[in-house]
Amino acid sequence: MFQPKPMTHLLIAAPKEQMASVVTELYRHRVFHITDFVDQGKEGYEGVRLGTPLEGAGELSTSLLKIRSIENVFQTSPETLFDVPKRPVATIRQAIERELPAIEAEVNDLTVQRSAAESRIRECEQRINELKPFALVPLEMDLYRGYDSITAIAGYLDKDVDISVPHEKYYAARKDGNFIVVFVETKDAAEIERTLSDAGFQSVTIPNETGSVQAAVDKYTADQSQAKVVFDTANAKISELKAKYADLLAACDEVLSGDVERAEAPLRFATTEEAFVVDGWVPADHIEPITAGLNQATGGCVYVTVDDDEIDATAIPVEYNNPSFAKPAELFMDVYAHPRYNEIDPTLILAIMFPIFFGLIVGDVGYGIIFLILALFARKLAMFKGEGGKNLIKILVGSSISTIFFGLLYSEFLGYALPWHAIIFQRHLAIGADAAAHATGPDAMPMLIMSVWFGIAYITLGRIFGMINHYRMDHPGKHRSKAILGQLGWIAILWGLLILVWSFFSMEQMFGIVGMMPDFTTAPLIAPGLSVAALGGLILLVLGCIFLAQENVLDLMEIPTIISHVLSFCRIAAVGLSSVAIAMVVNYLSFGMFIDPALANLDAVGVIMIIVGVLIFVCGHALNVGLGILGGGLHSIRLHYVEFFTKFYVGGGIKYNPFGLKRKFSEE
Amino acid sequence: MAIETMTVEAAQAMASGYTAIGAGLAVGLAGVGTGLGEMGIGAAAVGATAEDRDMFGLALLFTVLPETIVIFGLVISLLLLFQ
Repeated sequence: MFQPKPMTHLLIAAPKEQMASVVTELYRHRVFHITDFVDQGKEGYEGVRLGTPLEGAGELSTSLLKIRSIENVFQTSPETLFDVPKRPVATIRQAIERELPAIEAEVNDLTVQRSAAESRIRECEQRINELKPFALVPLEMDLYRGYDSITAIAGYLDKDVDISVPHEKYYAARKDGNFIVVFVETKDAAEIERTLSDAGFQSVTIPNETGSVQAAVDKYTADQSQAKVVFDTANAKISELKAKYADLLAACDEVLSGDVERAEAPLRFATTEEAFVVDGWVPADHIEPITAGLNQATGGCVYVTVDDDEIDATAIPVEYNNPSFAKPAELFMDVYAHPRYNEIDPTLILAIMFPIFFGLIVGDVGYGIIFLILALFARKLAMFKGEGGKNLIKILVGSSISTIFFGLLYSEFLGYALPWHAIIFQRHLAIGADAAAHATGPDAMPMLIMSVWFGIAYITLGRIFGMINHYRMDHPGKHRSKAILGQLGWIAILWGLLILVWSFFSMEQMFGIVGMMPDFTTAPLIAPGLSVAALGGLILLVLGCIFLAQENVLDLMEIPTIISHVLSFCRIAAVGLSSVAIAMVVNYLSFGMFIDPALANLDAVGVIMIIVGVLIFVCGHALNVGLGILGGGLHSIRLHYVEFFTKFYVGGGIKYNPFGLKRKFSEE
Repeated sequence: MAIETMTVEAAQAMASGYTAIGAGLAVGLAGVGTGLGEMGIGAAAVGATAEDRDMFGLALLFTVLPETIVIFGLVISLLLLFQ
């Protein structure tokens, strides 16, 4: 809680002949995060170099490459496949040996067929395009060639030209370029080409065909459709194979990837002539089993040391350590940044407060039920794939339950009032038929004050976390004390300002609200206009400014952000009220203006009015549901990211990525 | 003269009318400000997301940053209308 899993730095040294057993054992445990050895020629590392892959790595990579190329043909990838039944590893290995070569041969065959057909289709198309203009000339294709002293020139030009030498000319005016064919004596050809090029002539090659143009075009068209049939058949066969083997291929890919990862692991080790060292991290509670396992696997020929030396915390891999209900919120944390090892991990606060903010903002039983149904549908249809998608759905489910809960407290159902009066805040506006019932309007002020309290609490907590983080993460010394004092300064300024406000303004006098904020206006005066409370606030404010300035004078310019960040929490009240307003306006538009009047006097026009009213009702609430998810979700998460995390959270830690395979398609 | 003959009720109605206009302006103008702010960020965010799909979360976050402005406008209009 608030801390990542404790990690221990482990160094494993063994003779080289034990490398395979060490790798296999580490792989089996799947808890060891390997720190890659970088061969930088550091002092004390003379003669130590990167390891070489285990035997057979090359063949494994080649097999994997083959599978990947088939997957490429199938346009599938293990990342996009979900909910595939797992296969035993032994069966998969058998399949790699026996079935894979046949599949590969078949797929290769089909791809060759397909690409041959594809190029044939393209070739025919080109030929047909070349022949098309010649269809305008009443000549057979044989007549264009085979002369000793006559040359045929064909091409497009802008306008017809007069040719001075003896010739025979065919000219066809067309919208997309005038086509011309000229037969001249070969000795005049150069001159003719000059004349033509003055008229914007672009020559085309004369196709090497025989017989009539139409016959040639027909031949190519027939060829093309034949090739298309071959192409489609090959494609259909490939799709068939894909449906049959995609899962198996994904499983083979997984097993082989694992093998390759294992075989190439020594590339991350430091090795000498005779021995090697693996540097890495394990969760503290896994040291025992992994040490015992290594000893057993190597027959005691391994030396495992726990390294207690202090290491830069940014180099330590970070694994979340949260109760299971808070796990989905890790998704939101990773969108922002993975926490560092020695800083406070605020996932738990996010996991608890996000749904509460969401519920406070939307707070409507009807919408809550719709969100819940949407979330359950999305889960059923597996609309969001993978781990992240599942977590997102879990968060949505939590948020919808919170929305229903606050909807019951607010007494709201799709903008209508439930049979009881609002228990915490009344949010209905004086709109529509029930306007009289809500004539007092919503409890906007109390809600805003509650939001501001959230802001004050969050910012104070953020600064306290900031102090703790500075204490843990900075090097002991003057700089650290200054930074911690600076954070304290922020808290002092915030509370100094608050006390000053409370000693000059009374919520009761201004808004008639009692008990939601302290009232220091009646505090005893020590000078005209200056009460004890005001003096206290002033002292806090000045102290805070001094604390802040001693860290960095420029920070004083940032003081207004205290106000804007606290007020930013007002969105909890404001966005919520606007959502209620939209819902009530939709209800008024649909029922108040269309459906109710139509029902009172039902006729043909009335039926149309009812249909229009229902349409408005459905579309309006659908819009509000969308806005609710977007508004409720985005604003809640942003309050954490922008107003809370910026006070203390650094992030940028290394993700804990244990050496080993997360099995998705295979099982031992 | 219209003003001299205005009754108390008419004056109150006029005052509440002006309040409503003020509330509308508060939300509307703040909305324009937010829109202007989000315009540039949104364009850059779409570009970044097109380059790298993983940027989506962060890009969305940056895009909604100026939303605070319109929230302030909304708060002011709520204060005007319901205090």
